[in-house]
Amino acid sequence: MLFNSLSFVVFLVIVLALYYSKLFTWTNKKRMLLLASYLFYAMWNPPLILLLWISTVVDWSAGKRLAIEENQRKRKLWLLLSMSINLGFLAFFKYGDFLLENFVTIVNSLGFEFEANPMGILLPMGISFYTFQTMSYTIDMYKKKTKRAKTFLDFALYVTFFPQLVAGPIVRAKELITQFYEPKKATSNQFLWGLFLLTLGLFQKVVMADSLLAETSDTVFDSTQLIHGIDAWVGTLAFSGQIFFDFAGYSTCAIGIALMLGFVLPDNFRYPYASLGFSDLWKRWHITLSSWLKDYLYIPLGGNRHGITKMYVALMVTMLLGGLWHGAAWTFVVWGGLHGTYLILERLQRKYLPFKITKWNGIFLAFITFSCVNITWTFFRAPDFPKAWNMIKSMFYMQTDGINVIETFDIIKVCTVVGILFLCHWFMRNTSVKEVAQKASPVFLGIVWAIMVFALCIAQGSGEQFIYFQF
Amino acid sequence: MKLKQSFLIALTLLFLALITWEIYWRSQGYYPTIDDNKALWAAQRSKVEFLTSEDVILTGSSRVQFDIQLDVFENITGKRPLQLAVPGSSPLPIFHDIVNNTEFNGTIIVGVTPPLFFSTTYPKAEPWHRAQSKVEHYHGRTFAERLNHQLSLPLQSNLVMMSGHEEKSDENIDLKGLLRNIKFKKRTPGPAYPPFFEFGDVSIDRNVRMSEQCATDTVFANKIKNAWKFILTSEGPPPDKNSTTNYFAKDAKKFTDRGGNLILVRCPSSGMFYGGEKQFFSRETFFDSLANVTKARAYHYEDYEQLKSIDCCPEWSHLSAENADIFTKELVNIMLEDGAITNSKTK
Repeated sequence: MLFNSLSFVVFLVIVLALYYSKLFTWTNKKRMLLLASYLFYAMWNPPLILLLWISTVVDWSAGKRLAIEENQRKRKLWLLLSMSINLGFLAFFKYGDFLLENFVTIVNSLGFEFEANPMGILLPMGISFYTFQTMSYTIDMYKKKTKRAKTFLDFALYVTFFPQLVAGPIVRAKELITQFYEPKKATSNQFLWGLFLLTLGLFQKVVMADSLLAETSDTVFDSTQLIHGIDAWVGTLAFSGQIFFDFAGYSTCAIGIALMLGFVLPDNFRYPYASLGFSDLWKRWHITLSSWLKDYLYIPLGGNRHGITKMYVALMVTMLLGGLWHGAAWTFVVWGGLHGTYLILERLQRKYLPFKITKWNGIFLAFITFSCVNITWTFFRAPDFPKAWNMIKSMFYMQTDGINVIETFDIIKVCTVVGILFLCHWFMRNTSVKEVAQKASPVFLGIVWAIMVFALCIAQGSGEQFIYFQF
Repeated sequence: MKLKQSFLIALTLLFLALITWEIYWRSQGYYPTIDDNKALWAAQRSKVEFLTSEDVILTGSSRVQFDIQLDVFENITGKRPLQLAVPGSSPLPIFHDIVNNTEFNGTIIVGVTPPLFFSTTYPKAEPWHRAQSKVEHYHGRTFAERLNHQLSLPLQSNLVMMSGHEEKSDENIDLKGLLRNIKFKKRTPGPAYPPFFEFGDVSIDRNVRMSEQCATDTVFANKIKNAWKFILTSEGPPPDKNSTTNYFAKDAKKFTDRGGNLILVRCPSSGMFYGGEKQFFSRETFFDSLANVTKARAYHYEDYEQLKSIDCCPEWSHLSAENADIFTKELVNIMLEDGAITNSKTK
């Protein structure tokens, strides 16, 4: 089920009505939320709920054993069981065809003739998110960083909680499970703020991403011809805005819906396009994934504890795998590799060419960071390497005979929207929507709210899937 | 934060804005319509599984949708056909789907609009893709998508602002459509596509009747003609008669072998369409040849005075609602006389 759909409106109203009715005890309310979460997932593809159940049962069992087991070897085995099942799901469902394709390429390059038909495996929605979430619980249990969930119901709800099930934020056990222990009820202010965030998230997705930017981005990236430099830049900028509004919109909806139920989810985006450098970017973009990769990949790989070279290797491996997490294609690996390279270059700059960031050079630095990020988006969005390379060549005027594929109004529209987006991020980088809303007059906030819902109504989104669902 | 106050202000302003928006578009001549989108098609396609050998399916392109009226057909025969035609598309993918993915062995009436029927079997070509995407949506639709469709129907039927169109049209009043209509100096190569407007009203079971405006307002009809003129004079690939005929004949044989009744119908056209079809898709080479190869009953409107004499067509390609009623009545009577279809009322 998509947040930007009529069925979700009906679903949410029913869930809220049942949740706030006096029909249920707290345990029964949690049961209702769990069933609702399964229904939310099943409305897409019912049989794939089995994967969720397996993941839930395996990690619950592993966590239960890890809580009492002291034998290190056995503890390791339970951890391995959880990781092999979760990563096995990912490997089969997400990377099955990719692995097969690369295997065929390698075998053929060795001179053996071998052909294999793609397996055509259906990618379960949100599998990368919920597997990472359940694994974090087991790893934390193994490291004794978190306590075992009190009941199976609490754990199952943690894995399946519908606001963040299919596209995050990826929540740690200690952040969410403990919230399920005591009865939760949003205050009227929390409820309305949650509703405001839900509106804001839907506005970002339906109006900004789908109505204003997606068409231009699709036209440019789906074009099979060599395109003009302006078109390449505008298409990339459009995608840059689209992916931010799409994904941040989803996270904002998730946070808002959870808050309407009385639960607090962590922030996932903090104005990333005003980042001052790439370390800053990864503290602002998809924060819950960055911190997951840092805690469960970068630090176990050695982090910065074993010298500079090993740190750079750990950084690059983390970013390459982070890229692969986004999609089963080498273009995503290159996207991760570029970010890894940026992070290493930034560290070298800090060491050999340090300079102080002031309010005068800050916006310039943010603009440079944003421009470099845009270059990486071409690899992220392009369907293959030739297209990505053609885009890069057009963007840097290495080919000047490209054709125009977008109209003048598209250029004006995209530059205006993305320009405003960049400036908003710059002016908001040290604050939050809530702080701004608190300072605003109720009338102004009401007007903004009405404009957003009105735009949502006239946008009439046809329920385009959120980009990150495919990851 | 005084959120309650903000919420009430938002609610009041929203209510006023939406009412104003709705009244404004109604004052511009718009009225609520159902979008003939993939979900609506899929809802009809799902009914095929429950049809018997007595039932009738219509498929083809927009001419079958405009010219064969379901109410008239039902009044005469006692059976309401299932409308599965898709505008601007080749009927081959849909016929293929029904033949190969269902057990249906009733009657299928296939509308043959030569430039579309004989266009291509290339999956990415527009006439093929448009129909195939509907078939794929039907087979892949989720429960959520089915529910969304059901929930959207009352909104589409009652509110102009919710009557969006899946196909790009210059009268779309959703945000994307409104933005698309803002034109600056053209910078892409090639001629500008002339404005195109919807000119039919769709019912929940996909019956289409030509709008009153198109039937009576020649200025409006000329706008549609301009779009047709643009399409007809644009360079496109030549027809692929052999591939399309062979593809269809294979499915036709499979269908008739299991007892299915296949009927081909050529609906009327006029003006530039008639001229173009006569010149580039001669009846003998295309329509008659197809009928011979498939051994199907074939009805060409020019063979029957009562069909030929119907005034065709305000925009060269489709009958007005009134004339579509007459056309359907005459065509159905001809088919009944031939024994091509049965009358369940007199059985």
